[in-house]
Amino acid sequence: WFSSLVQSVAGKAALEKADLEPALKVLKDRLMTKNVAADIAEKLCDSVAASLLGKKQGSFTRISSTVQAAMEEALLRILTPKRSVDILRDVHQAKEQGRPYVIVFVGVNGVGKSTNLAKVAYWLVQHDVSVMMAACDTFRSGAVEQLRTHARRLQIPIFEKGYEKDPAMVAKEAIREAVRTQQDVVLVDTAGRMQDNEPLMRALSKLINLNEPDLVLFVGEALVGNDGVDQLTKFNQKLVDLSTTGSPRLIDGILLTKFDTIDDKVGAALSMVYVSGVPVMFVGCGQTYTDLKKLNVKSIVKSLLV
Amino acid sequence: MVLAELGGRISRALQQMSNATLIDEKVLAECLNEISRALLQADVQFKMVMNMQNNIKKIVNLDDLAAGHNKRKIIQQAVFNELCNMLDPGKAAFVPKKGKPNVIMFVGLQGSGKTTTCTKYAYHYQKKGWKPALVCADTFRAGAFDQLKQNATKAKIPFYGSYTETDPVKIAQEGVDTFKKENCDLIIVDTSGRHKQEASLFEEMRQVAEVSNPDLVIFVMDSSIGQAAFDQAQAFKQSVAVGAVIVTKMDGHAKGGGALSAVAATKSPVIFIGTGEHMDEFEAFETKPFVSRLLGMGDWSGFMDK
Ligand SMILES: Nc1nc2c(ncn2[C@@H]2O[C@H](COP(=O)(O)OP(=O)(O)OP(=O)(O)O)[C@@H](O)[C@H]2O)c(=O)[nH]1
Ligand SMILES: Nc1nc2c(ncn2[C@@H]2O[C@H](COP(=O)(O)OP(=O)(O)OP(=O)(O)O)[C@@H](O)[C@H]2O)c(=O)[nH]1
Ligand SMILES: [Mg+2]
Ligand SMILES: [Mg+2]
Repeated sequence: WFSSLVQSVAGKAALEKADLEPALKVLKDRLMTKNVAADIAEKLCDSVAASLLGKKQGSFTRISSTVQAAMEEALLRILTPKRSVDILRDVHQAKEQGRPYVIVFVGVNGVGKSTNLAKVAYWLVQHDVSVMMAACDTFRSGAVEQLRTHARRLQIPIFEKGYEKDPAMVAKEAIREAVRTQQDVVLVDTAGRMQDNEPLMRALSKLINLNEPDLVLFVGEALVGNDGVDQLTKFNQKLVDLSTTGSPRLIDGILLTKFDTIDDKVGAALSMVYVSGVPVMFVGCGQTYTDLKKLNVKSIVKSLLV
Repeated sequence: MVLAELGGRISRALQQMSNATLIDEKVLAECLNEISRALLQADVQFKMVMNMQNNIKKIVNLDDLAAGHNKRKIIQQAVFNELCNMLDPGKAAFVPKKGKPNVIMFVGLQGSGKTTTCTKYAYHYQKKGWKPALVCADTFRAGAFDQLKQNATKAKIPFYGSYTETDPVKIAQEGVDTFKKENCDLIIVDTSGRHKQEASLFEEMRQVAEVSNPDLVIFVMDSSIGQAAFDQAQAFKQSVAVGAVIVTKMDGHAKGGGALSAVAATKSPVIFIGTGEHMDEFEAFETKPFVSRLLGMGDWSGFMDK
């Protein structure tokens, strides 16, 4: 009889779906206004609901705070990298093996690949790493001159072959040149492409298959809405489908740009990590070389929930 | 176009409601929820979607009182009107007048597609016998002048810009003056990408607008933009007299709902859409026929002439 008495005082019946729904609806709407993709906001709420169903509800906590706490935990779990990449460590490892470390920047049009490539170059130089740029956007007007300008300002070498060349071959030659001149890192700029554009995705896959980069960095802008999910899914899918090697290369990390243009609508970060399972390795937050930061997971979670 | 997908989903939601034998609160709520989901997945601003839902509910409830009305028709009419209001700002954009020196200024967020679209726009009119010219008032982005120059050269359109002058206001003034003297009838001013969070960039835009004295300011928006679209578009509108919108990258997968938000925020119609990186991948956009086509499916046809 004692245990039944305690229960009636300390806790109420197990949580049911109907108890949770109002609080979850509020959270889902909030996530969407913060620019989390609609499907992902929905899935997150479903999984939070599943984790709480049947749990005993403490009598002194309100359901809304229980739901909020569970969501916070879920968000932290998703955004905290399972596998961390330490670029500087890996660069040194490659150097010991006598080869340059190669990073390829990929993404759709205009998201900030070239600009943030230059910021990464600056960051590497600050860490006493020697860097070479490879101008493998051989398509878009002004792309080569754009990269050349950055290389000149940062006083680092650039490998370029002008326009209309096969970008996969330009990258190959660039890496060979970097070996010859003993550069630590090669940063490969690529042309922007839509994830549904078959010929262009094929060309990207070729570049990656041929050159086996150490890091494939997906550049996505924080401004992107629901399409961000599709971009990452399809880039990965195409890299698998079009791979000519036994073990296809996938996207290793995300560089999230234009973070300075979105106020508190930080949801794209969550959407991108959720669908790809890879970490945000850098955040671009401005148009100068020093505007490159690491993602602050706690502050993202906070922005998403208030 | 992918926006049409949205039309299809909305039509289906209404069709489902029509199939229900009895329309009660629950059926209406389900229908409106489905429509809202479609709009949110297409990146329409959350607040706009909620407003639309509420407006429809209000109209439907009011009409509840009046006996003898066909509920289903009232709901459909309400949805139709709300969507029309979103897409149609109710006034036409400035139309350049042949033989006069029309000045058109392009503004927008970073990487939205301004420079590419400037050439497309010029090329579109050139084919119709106009004498367009391009002014590169972007002195900030690396390679900006090269990009415009290469595009213009390809299209055989005269251009103005400088590698050494750093003041975009000066270039805009000189460029517009030069081409007025040369009797060009469509003088197009390309500007740097900017965002509302950086006040100095908006001030610069105001100054460029002041000296160019444009007949039309076109806001260029990337179709993949998410929930930040409305705020950014509104800020541009408050700073310069935006009179039209061009939505780019419609060849991608994005449903372009951000564009609806931009139309609402700038109270300006979409006049063209960009459908690829090449000069001729550009289509005129007319709101009214588009809405009719979008909603002119199945049950909608009865409302077309209202
Ligand atoms: N505000 C802001 N602007 C950025 C950021 N990163 C890049 N940009 C701007 O975005 C625009 C496009 O950048 P690019 O580096 O040319 O983009 P891209 O992905 O290389 O473009 P394509 O090669 O044409 O596909 C430029 O105006 C950059 O200055 C950022 O973190 N914040
Ligand atoms: N697929 C596709 N790409 C486009 C379209 N319009 C522009 N682009 C691409 O988008 C990227 C950015 O275009 P830009 O014209 O440089 O954009 P911008 O607004 O001038 O950029 P900033 O001057 O840096 O602010 C380039 O890679 C263009 O080729 C389009 O309709 N479809
Ligand atoms: Mg680029
Ligand atoms: Mg530009």
